[in-house]
Amino acid sequence: MTEFYGYVRPDGSVGIRNHILILSGTVYANKLCAHVANLIWGAIAIEHPLGRTQVKPDLRMTRRFLSGTASNPNVGGVVVVDHFQELGCTAEDIAADIAPTGKPVMTVNIRRSGGLIAATEKATRYAMEIARQLSDQRRQPVPLSSLIFGMNCGTSDTTSGLASNPATGYCSDRIIAEGGRSIMAETTEWMGAEVWLTSKAVSQEVADKIMAGVADMEARALASGEDIRGSQPTGDNILGGLTTIEEKSMGACKKAGSSPIVDYLDIAMPPGKTPGLYVMYGPGHGAESISSIAAAGAQVLVFSTGGGHTVSHPIMPTIKVTGHRESWELMKDTMELDVSGILRGEITIEQGGQMIFDEVLATCNGRLTKSEILKDDNSFAIHRVGISI
Amino acid sequence: MPERKPRKAPRTVKTVFVIEADDNVGTAVGEELIRKGDTVTTAGRVTDVTLKALADIPYGHKIALRPIRKGQPVIKYGLSIGTATANIKAGDHVHIHNVESNRGRGDLTAKGKVKT
Repeated sequence: MTEFYGYVRPDGSVGIRNHILILSGTVYANKLCAHVANLIWGAIAIEHPLGRTQVKPDLRMTRRFLSGTASNPNVGGVVVVDHFQELGCTAEDIAADIAPTGKPVMTVNIRRSGGLIAATEKATRYAMEIARQLSDQRRQPVPLSSLIFGMNCGTSDTTSGLASNPATGYCSDRIIAEGGRSIMAETTEWMGAEVWLTSKAVSQEVADKIMAGVADMEARALASGEDIRGSQPTGDNILGGLTTIEEKSMGACKKAGSSPIVDYLDIAMPPGKTPGLYVMYGPGHGAESISSIAAAGAQVLVFSTGGGHTVSHPIMPTIKVTGHRESWELMKDTMELDVSGILRGEITIEQGGQMIFDEVLATCNGRLTKSEILKDDNSFAIHRVGISI
Repeated sequence: MPERKPRKAPRTVKTVFVIEADDNVGTAVGEELIRKGDTVTTAGRVTDVTLKALADIPYGHKIALRPIRKGQPVIKYGLSIGTATANIKAGDHVHIHNVESNRGRGDLTAKGKVKT
């Protein structure tokens, strides 16, 4: 049985980081949160442009992303800040969502605190108290079954479907074999691969949900007045050798590995307790996709890329892998692994997958990703399902 | 004993990548481009095929590992990624000029020829 050293939370979940989150409830609290995070050791600010004048389903989505991110076990404690009151998404609402995790949560309202300076002081004091508590916590050995493993791909090319995606799938299979759970999102890139995906579903009910998810995403694309399939594969894809949408989607879905799909999740919703692979509804937008996976509780994510990438989530270490040698040479400042040896016949997919597994395990034990070291936490984004009004 | 004439060496041996055993195409992802006339071998799940490239194969593009008749599926990842629209010979370049998608064919539904 594989173990790693993690931070055990009051609800039994396990973090691989011990961040203090300074969470902005609304756009007008962003800079306060950033200032407090700069003052406090180990603190990370979550900033975003939403939380005000959104239509209700869209506001509920914002709350789901914010509460889910703060509930992620990589977060040890939270200070939530809002500025006045947004019914249905106040700092108190978000704190109530986080409360079942048992982690320390404090709220600050800028207006009720007496303005920006007073609120900054209050949030800083709360964060300092939480930092003292968190600094007493130590990593403990826990089974790998505590892990929720996220998978995503982006800036894909022909190497993705042949090397980095199947190697990521192998890593996912290893984690699931030890009782862990994996999440694969990006419904847009299931189109054309549904027959293969649904053949992996554990039941007809799960298969039906996958088909409904694809139909829904396709309908959203069509409602925009653009036929998504009219431009899939894109001109770039065709130049790169991708001939049909089936080929493109099959490459993306190789991240699924060989494990059965145990359930379908709505966007940013946590998986059930059953070990196995979960597929999650969501867009192809990389930052929104990985943020939805972090909000669902994944502690670590492997991002497979052909062209190379800087994508990195603030609280969920984002390990970047490419099967394209040139991309590795150009982008290795923010990437962890080069598995292009698979395409030269130097290593097998399984060996590439083992390299990813070893990197995931080291990251769970505390090894920092390059993006974490460079503080390049650029990829928190909330999925939108409505307009600002 | 007469001196044996040395066999003419192939221009260059290049490798294409094959992801599943029943794939009928391989993908050119080697560092050197495949030129018409090159000898091509396979890496990945299939390692015992040797053929001659009948066309230049750009990086990331596909080459047929065996003949694919018109109307037959093109298999990559062990699954159909489309249908051959012409007879394809082993060593041919396989792309949009000889393969069509079976998905999202609004053009066919519009003509009443539903393709599923």
